[in-house]
Amino acid sequence: MLRFLEPIINGVLLGGLYAVIGIGLSMIFGIIRQVNLAHGELMILASYFSLLTLQLLGLHPLLTFLFVLPAMFIFGYLIQALLFNRVMGKGMEPFLMISFGLSIILQNALLLIFTPDARSLKNTLVIQSLNVYDLFHVPLIYIVNFAVSILVIGLLHQFMKRTYLGWAISASAEDLSAAKLMGINPKRVYALAMGIAAVTAAISGVLVGMTFTFYPHSGTQYLIIAFGVVIIGGLGSLPGTFLGGLILGISQLAGGHIIGPGFQLLSGYIILLVVLTIRPQGILGRG
Amino acid sequence: MAMLEVRDLDVYYEKFQALSGVELDVQRGQIVSLLGANGAGKSTLLKTISGILKPASGSIYFDEKRIDNLQPHDIVNLGIGLVPEGRKIFSALTVRENLLIGSYTGRARRTRNKTLEDVFHLFPVLKHRSQQKGTDLSGGEQQMLSIGRALMSQPRFSIFDEISLGLSPVVVKELYRTIKRINQEGMTVVLVEQDVKRSLKVANFAYILQEGRITLKGNPRDFTEEAVKKAYFGV
Repeated sequence: MLRFLEPIINGVLLGGLYAVIGIGLSMIFGIIRQVNLAHGELMILASYFSLLTLQLLGLHPLLTFLFVLPAMFIFGYLIQALLFNRVMGKGMEPFLMISFGLSIILQNALLLIFTPDARSLKNTLVIQSLNVYDLFHVPLIYIVNFAVSILVIGLLHQFMKRTYLGWAISASAEDLSAAKLMGINPKRVYALAMGIAAVTAAISGVLVGMTFTFYPHSGTQYLIIAFGVVIIGGLGSLPGTFLGGLILGISQLAGGHIIGPGFQLLSGYIILLVVLTIRPQGILGRG
Repeated sequence: MAMLEVRDLDVYYEKFQALSGVELDVQRGQIVSLLGANGAGKSTLLKTISGILKPASGSIYFDEKRIDNLQPHDIVNLGIGLVPEGRKIFSALTVRENLLIGSYTGRARRTRNKTLEDVFHLFPVLKHRSQQKGTDLSGGEQQMLSIGRALMSQPRFSIFDEISLGLSPVVVKELYRTIKRINQEGMTVVLVEQDVKRSLKVANFAYILQEGRITLKGNPRDFTEEAVKKAYFGV
């Protein structure tokens, strides 16, 4: 039994990071009913931006949040205001096309500027690990990831519950024409929501950059993780996204431990298929 | 000049013409009743006035300002409030939050806490239930919430769409009393109803719509039962 303790604990911690990776995608689906295929690129864009500020100013990667998060909020706001808002209410396809195009442009722009070399946001947390009563080891960075994830999800929850803008966002998500009658300008609400989603993507991008190496094309890989998380948990549900992250994290690490390290992804996606079969709307998704 | 003027309005749902050549005037301080069977075009007219639908041709003026090319949130900000059919309470929000979200526009937002007190004064039951989820209220209370929420935008002109639908006569009577009271305090009111008798009793002026056209208008006291039936059903 004890030999499963380490992969399960690490799976939970990794799952917290996965939840933050998925949360922006889930949020935008919940509010705009659209899938942002450039979500992974928003993450990696933030990773490179963090790399840049870290090299220029010599900051700890976690401190680069101070610059990266406001910049990514503005970036998210602008792509919604200038691009996506033009195709609101015109079905799924135009939004998918624009976000796919945006992901290609961002990937290639990063490739052009930063070359295809592997990068990482160097920090000492990666090489340190916590030894818990000689029972199991936990990399320190995993604990940081999990703590930041809990903080992000908690703050987002409070934001939606307590702020005026949060109420306007949930009102627009629930009934758009009723929200318009309240005097809510949906295009502005959407732009702010995309800004917030970009901030969550940026947080996960910096954490991913601190934990693993990244390349200009890494976004695709994380978009798939984000999809896994929100499909397991249920699109548009905040607690569902958190649960989805944990399940995907545990099933990857525990599955990898049982079947063999090469099969991490496989075991994660087997769980995904099982959930899709039994509960297609996701565990906490609304029918 | 009338407070609201609708001129030669044509509205389409794709190819289907829902309104043709509609003319409507609402004088300041009046209660105007808009009647018609299901599908006559009442809701289409309201959606067009509030900016959710755009007319193919014709114009709408509010206080001498043209509004048919404006967005819904701008129209709300000018002072037109709509109590939508089916109440449309936000289930994710509490009673208090549902009300406060009604003051989202710039003009109403600054004074929202004071307006909230006024609405609680008008509907004390909402104050008692302010922390409950909006959709946990009874039908009549939800209708009060929907009316209160529309008042939170501080309108000078309010449209009530089918407020008596599915409610008991006692509750409907109370709602109508409240509407009269709001009207006496200076609000111009448009009532959209299928309940012909009650609606005609309180109105200063009435319009009957049939298949997208105005078939009868005037002071409801001058209407004969026969004329109303003909305008309503076309027989």
